[in-house]
Amino acid sequence: MNQLPAVVAVLAAAAALLGSVGGIGGAALLVPVLVALGAEPTAAAPVGLVVVAAGSLAASARQLDDGTVHHRLGLTLELAAAGGVVAGAIVSVDLPEQVVAWVLAGAAVVGAVSALARRGIRNQPVGILDAEPAGEWPGTLGGQYRLDGAVVPYQATHLERGLPAALVAGVVAGISGVGGGFLKTPAMSELMRVPVKVAAATTTFTLGITASAGLLVYAVQGRVDALDSAGALVGAVVGGWMGARIQSMLPAVVIRRATGVLLLVVATVVVVRT
Amino acid sequence: MNGDVAPDAERGPVDPKAGRFDRVVTVLRVATLLVLVLAAVALVVGGEVGRSAAWVALAVLCAVPLLRVAWLAVRWFRRGDPRYGLVACGVLAVVAVGLTLA
Repeated sequence: MNQLPAVVAVLAAAAALLGSVGGIGGAALLVPVLVALGAEPTAAAPVGLVVVAAGSLAASARQLDDGTVHHRLGLTLELAAAGGVVAGAIVSVDLPEQVVAWVLAGAAVVGAVSALARRGIRNQPVGILDAEPAGEWPGTLGGQYRLDGAVVPYQATHLERGLPAALVAGVVAGISGVGGGFLKTPAMSELMRVPVKVAAATTTFTLGITASAGLLVYAVQGRVDALDSAGALVGAVVGGWMGARIQSMLPAVVIRRATGVLLLVVATVVVVRT
Repeated sequence: MNGDVAPDAERGPVDPKAGRFDRVVTVLRVATLLVLVLAAVALVVGGEVGRSAAWVALAVLCAVPLLRVAWLAVRWFRRGDPRYGLVACGVLAVVAVGLTLA
């Protein structure tokens, strides 16, 4: 990485802020920006996964306390996603930079479409779930959550559709360093009929595992710069924290659209540069 | 999540507190703070000390999710849900195999 850790921290904070408000995650924005600024895709990828892991860890306590995470569903899908991220990370060092850049640009475009197409805020403020019954049913991929004061039971279906989507998200994460949450959450909610709130929380839980697996492989490959990673880590936590607070103050639709357009621009720059 | 119920238990409302894991939540909050402080120290101090602090932060960052999976595996095996206990073990095995291959 050519970037100084402090610069990475600032970029990561901005990306996490926009990403959290835009609902696409910070890495989906940070990694393409780093590449557009001149970083090699293989060097930017570990920084991206640090941002993903930091975001997952920062949200983990809150979401576990809410009871919205479906651990059984998350780990079932993570069987595929972990395999994908490990495979992606291993092969990414042998892939031409252009291929990695194209995967990254493709991920940025998908993230842009996800941000532009979304109609509601996926991660709602935490307070509304306080003292509500929510949980998963042991031995099943079903559970229940609270919506507007009512208990809503749900049952995940079509696991055969969710597993390939998780595998693809994992491979993309391993190759490019973006988390792939913008693939996992829609796959869970649209293909597997899981409520969006549960899908988003479960995705955040699984992204931590995906990112950890990818980062460990990167570390073994000697691709992790500790100080740049520290900068990204601080920026991701601070930016995510700020994003959660300004989410209620700014028009989310405008920010999502701006983030989507920015991602399209960045994807174009990444493609043009390679 | 109500881990005391057998896998084939009748589906229905669960204990409102069943999804809460107070101790794990506390551990996750402490881990988040620890990682943030270590990374901040690494940024401010720099040099070899900063690099060491950054590596420790990264180690904690990577270890916490995997330890959470291990905890879930143990919990599910103990509470009569071996199928998903095996799933959790499978995730850890995939990561281990990946590290070996890398």
